[in-house]
Amino acid sequence: MHRFVEHTGEVEVDLEAASEAGIFEAALEAFAELTSTDGDREPAAHRIELAAPDRALLLADWVNEFVYLAEVADFVPEAVGAFELAGDRLVATVEGHRDHPRQLVKAVTLNDLELAEVDGRWHGRVVLDV
Amino acid sequence: MSSSTSELVRVDETLWEIPASARRDMRVPARVFADRELLDAIVGDRSLQQLENVATLPGIVEAAIAMPDIHQGYGFPVGGVAATELPDGVVSPGGVGYDINCGVRLLALPLSEAELGPRREALVHELSRSVPAGAGKHGRLHLSPAELDGVLVDGPRALLRRGIGCEDDLEHTESLGRLDGADPDEVSLRARERGAGQLGTMGAGNHFVELQLIERIYDPAAAAGFGLAEGGLTVLIHSGSRGLGHQVCSDHVRTMDAAMVRYGIELPDRQLACAPASSPEGRAYLGAMAAAANFAFANRQAIAHGVRGAIERVLGSAVAAQTRQVYDVAHNIAKTERHRDRELLVHRKGATRAFPGQAVFIPGSMGTSSFVLAGQQGAMERSFGTACHGAGRALSRTAARKRIAGGELRRRLQAQGIVVRCLSNAGLAEEAPFAYKDVEHVVEVVQEAGLAHRVARLAPIGVVKG
Repeated sequence: MHRFVEHTGEVEVDLEAASEAGIFEAALEAFAELTSTDGDREPAAHRIELAAPDRALLLADWVNEFVYLAEVADFVPEAVGAFELAGDRLVATVEGHRDHPRQLVKAVTLNDLELAEVDGRWHGRVVLDV
Repeated sequence: MSSSTSELVRVDETLWEIPASARRDMRVPARVFADRELLDAIVGDRSLQQLENVATLPGIVEAAIAMPDIHQGYGFPVGGVAATELPDGVVSPGGVGYDINCGVRLLALPLSEAELGPRREALVHELSRSVPAGAGKHGRLHLSPAELDGVLVDGPRALLRRGIGCEDDLEHTESLGRLDGADPDEVSLRARERGAGQLGTMGAGNHFVELQLIERIYDPAAAAGFGLAEGGLTVLIHSGSRGLGHQVCSDHVRTMDAAMVRYGIELPDRQLACAPASSPEGRAYLGAMAAAANFAFANRQAIAHGVRGAIERVLGSAVAAQTRQVYDVAHNIAKTERHRDRELLVHRKGATRAFPGQAVFIPGSMGTSSFVLAGQQGAMERSFGTACHGAGRALSRTAARKRIAGGELRRRLQAQGIVVRCLSNAGLAEEAPFAYKDVEHVVEVVQEAGLAHRVARLAPIGVVKG
């Protein structure tokens, strides 16, 4: 699940899930909520392959991939298809549709970036520049 | 880590300081230009904590400085200024921000509001058709890779060959519209992909093109120098480097995040990632940043070309030809400057260069006045030649949307006599006037602090919002 947190200048999203993979899914849902529209929905899918030195950066890269796809391919994500997280790598297929994104997200910042397991639950946080 | 607001000391009527001793990792004090009322608003979010974090940057000199429009950002607060001593002081991409060389350009029309008369609505409508707005919108300029390289190196000068803009525009642009040292090879393929089709587009968020009435002149001599007269009309353009700049920042924050351990740099916030300006990573970023800044100057030039086109279609070619550029100024940038016999890299994140006599534009919120200021000597002595960049957000976007529906705001603005064109009602609500501090108050503090003084006040009569 995701929750938008009050932030004066930008968009801060808190993420919570039962698994680490669930955090990535929650981040996708948050991005979809920001960018989705009621327009025509031509289905589309993209394969994503990422590598990063730590999992928090991998989370930032994951959302940055949606930023990039929104801008160059008018892609609005809806759901995670195949998803594999191993070591410093992530391979996934993301399903969604082509549309003009409702909200411009410029980038995922590293400000207060978090991904950690606390008492058996996974927590994440990203701050988006909008 | 919470901010040390309890250690705030009042230096004078408009300056407050958190001493460097407030935190073990601060290298210099954190200073805020504000009066008591603005300060009360500023301490309501985490902007002062972010300013203290900036004070930990290696090589920072004198103080981490905040303008009265400061608010919480990411890494640096918006409204923050940090100067590091070259050659080895650091450069931090987050200290410039993702929208590299976001800035404002003011055009002055050769006619009065009375002469515009009933053609106002048609003009605003035509402006909205001439400047693509919104997320990811593609412009009408198609650049080959070589032409894009030309823009990255030469900025708006590269567009003169296409008949976009004129020499006079360049002469009225900060740094003549071209930062030296631009290195297109440091601009990634992904940055090029994002930005290549966006030249001449406004973007979204708080970006706009606004038709304004010059409703008051405070300094007749300076106003005459800028070509502004009471009752006249202006167009203010607010945009930046679009997806190209956003990606340049993302790429180089990541590079520096990985490099910091090699330089023994530890910081309280990962978004402040930095490297010595003289290092390979520092030089690479500065080359890419200059290229993105040149792209942004060119973007505003292409938007201004669209504005002149709209003016021509509604008001005729003579009016378009006589529409002059007053100035174009950046408010997200890092520049090498000499201050008090030191060569410094001055980061301005949501802050405007304000050298003595230079034009400074302070956009208000939608529906409120904007200001033309002139920089003063006090800025050279107190803020590395810097003034504020706007009113500064006071409410989050969510809070603004909860307080008013976009449709209702649109009706209220129209009732005030402002013609509004905006793709999204939600986007409109996020930029509601009450979501910002009082711009008149912010400008008053800037003037009282001796950073810049009021020249003219511009009232909005038409808004095209991204």
